[in-house]
Amino acid sequence: MRITLLLFTLFAFSMPASAGMFSTIDERANQISTQLEGNNSYHAHLARELANIAVEEKGQHDVTAALEFIRMAESHADQAGGAE
Amino acid sequence: MIKRIITLTASLSLAACAGYTDINIGVDELAEARAAIADAKTAGAERCAPKLQAQAVASLYWAGHELEESGNYDAGDHAEEEAMLVARAVAKAKEAKAASKGACMPEIIKLSGIQFPHDSARLTPAATAILDNAVKTLQKRSTIKVEVAAHTDSSGSNEYNLALSERRAASVMNYLGTHGISSSRLTSKGYGESQPIVSNATKEGRTANRRVELRVMN
Repeated sequence: MRITLLLFTLFAFSMPASAGMFSTIDERANQISTQLEGNNSYHAHLARELANIAVEEKGQHDVTAALEFIRMAESHADQAGGAE
Repeated sequence: MIKRIITLTASLSLAACAGYTDINIGVDELAEARAAIADAKTAGAERCAPKLQAQAVASLYWAGHELEESGNYDAGDHAEEEAMLVARAVAKAKEAKAASKGACMPEIIKLSGIQFPHDSARLTPAATAILDNAVKTLQKRSTIKVEVAAHTDSSGSNEYNLALSERRAASVMNYLGTHGISSSRLTSKGYGESQPIVSNATKEGRTANRRVELRVMN
């Protein structure tokens, strides 16, 4: 029973992990920075600020907060429309 | 069997649950910061002082998170940090509001590298490649309206340069319009040689001054 559960859980995580869906907070923050290069709109600045907070929170081992802030940062990066 | 299903369902639910909630910035402790940010926004800070306004808003959200984390809005473990973040949000919003007073320059979306043949408003393949990127930007930022602004260097008469820049601005606007950007979001204006960004004394300077840009108008 335990082995089955362990194998199933490992399998459940292996697929998204191999697809690169578990990017780190730092990777996602870097991606936002690259994506918004040269973009000085309000949403671009806010995305960068929120990404910085996410990295800071991750440094303080608050992964839940880091995930929330990076999600917000990505949302504003989308609204900013990328690099210009 | 049922036990197994229950155990599996529970484990999957736990694995799938990210566990985060939206940050609450509606609490009384953040009222001053919220008001300052709203004030700045009304004054046009998102357009005129975007960095300062973004710093204010980010500080507000961070303060909201710290307040939630402390679990006690009166005197949590993070009280000092919360107070610092609220003060920062208020200060940045006030700076943003002050910076937004009077006329401010519109946001410019540069179309670096667009060059036209001599005395022509015809778009080259290199120019259309740049404009295709601009179309993508405008599709992503679907709420903004832009003025296509064209500029020349100081070679030639004022009248000639003004007319040429108007034709070039119209040419770019037409391209954007025929590639999916609504005409209601586009205007065009030729500025001739009236707004150089560097001296026209050198060849490099004249090249830099011959340019087309998108000015965000809202």
